[in-house]
Amino acid sequence: MVHTRQNQNTFSTAQKRRFVDAVLALKRSGRYDEFVRTHIDFYVGDGDGALRVAHMTPSFFPWHRKFLLEFERALQKKDPGVTVPYWDWTVDRTPAVSLWGEDFLGGNGRRSDRQVTTGPFARRHGNWTVTEAVTDGDFLMRDFGRPQAPVDLPSKAELAGAMDETQYDAKPWNSLSAGGFRNKLEGWPSRRGDRTWFNHNRVHRWVSGHMLGAGSVNDPVFWLHHAFVDLCWSRWRRRHPDVDPYLPLERPGLGDPQHGRVLAAGDVMPPWNIPLRDMLEHTSLYRYE
Amino acid sequence: MNSRVSLTYPRPAESVAAPAATGRAPDGRPLLTRRSATLILLGAASTTAAVLQLRPSGTDEPGTGPESFDETYLGRRITGVRSSDAAAGGVPAWQVAVDGRPLHLMRRADGSYLSMVDHYASYPTPLDAARGAVAELGDQQLRPHVGGM
Ligand SMILES: [Cu+2]
Ligand SMILES: [Cu+2]
Repeated sequence: MVHTRQNQNTFSTAQKRRFVDAVLALKRSGRYDEFVRTHIDFYVGDGDGALRVAHMTPSFFPWHRKFLLEFERALQKKDPGVTVPYWDWTVDRTPAVSLWGEDFLGGNGRRSDRQVTTGPFARRHGNWTVTEAVTDGDFLMRDFGRPQAPVDLPSKAELAGAMDETQYDAKPWNSLSAGGFRNKLEGWPSRRGDRTWFNHNRVHRWVSGHMLGAGSVNDPVFWLHHAFVDLCWSRWRRRHPDVDPYLPLERPGLGDPQHGRVLAAGDVMPPWNIPLRDMLEHTSLYRYE
Repeated sequence: MNSRVSLTYPRPAESVAAPAATGRAPDGRPLLTRRSATLILLGAASTTAAVLQLRPSGTDEPGTGPESFDETYLGRRITGVRSSDAAAGGVPAWQVAVDGRPLHLMRRADGSYLSMVDHYASYPTPLDAARGAVAELGDQQLRPHVGGM
């Protein structure tokens, strides 16, 4: 069964309600917090010597594709008609857009403690208590644009800079890769000392609050953000059909600093232990509208 | 200090020597040149320099030095100690705390630091990462037992 993911800004009131209800049902069952935990556990820094499968690594895209797919399947057990919508942050760029409405994800956090007080994920409704997190507050937090250190959502030009890359990824296969689509879209600056963050990372920073930290999955917008990241990957592949869809093809050798630390195209991907190759194409599983 | 430099970024020299299967860009340019490897080494060295500058300015108490920090920032006490067994994992490890609660730090390949509170940016030093985390914390405390891997 091939599902369709659509732009959240085309969602009807009924679609919003069904999506929100399925997410709340997952939260009630405890399954949602398992996703939060998995994401925390698989965030490994590229200066720390361990295998990285989720971030600062070539498998950033396939890992999150599978993570989203698992989430979508869990949602569909609650409501078979639900799919994860995507948030094109180059278009819907302000706190006033319908994404942040009372009937969808709710709005910005309040000034005093960044607590989200509107929408279905506001703590006061009793349906969204944060349990897997870094800080002790049990309410969802947002801080749009981080007024204390202002940041904008990525522009179309910034995204285009990633989409124009003609190679999937590049040595040294981490957050310092100067070329390649993956690091440009994941959004780490390749120059030492440069503290500018791009695309995917910049969106986490713009939403801020929980989205800034290890517990980013606590904010349901995580899924809509990563659905768009996934769509960008899909579009990138269509724009560059003749290049390797994934690099590295071979595992970095014994003398390479990345030996044992990144997945090659033929590897199996934890924690699901599926062939990474299975995630390079999605049209047999879902499509984007 | 030299041994510490090489520990910061394991075996950069070998990565130049080893011809990798995918070592060239489509235009034939080598992806990791000797120059970029040198830059990696320089980066590692400047990381060490940054760590050496960790002593908060204006403090001369015994026990406050490049291997540790202890200060009040935005009303929160932040402490950091560089583990003596840092060589075990190949990179220096820091035990950082805010008001006595552990703040787990991760390392980026350029030697900078990420905290559990801020995963989508990195800071030049553990002290900077701790200050960044405190600025994000607001009135909240770190939860116990939410470490990294
Ligand atoms: Cu992630
Ligand atoms: Cu993300």
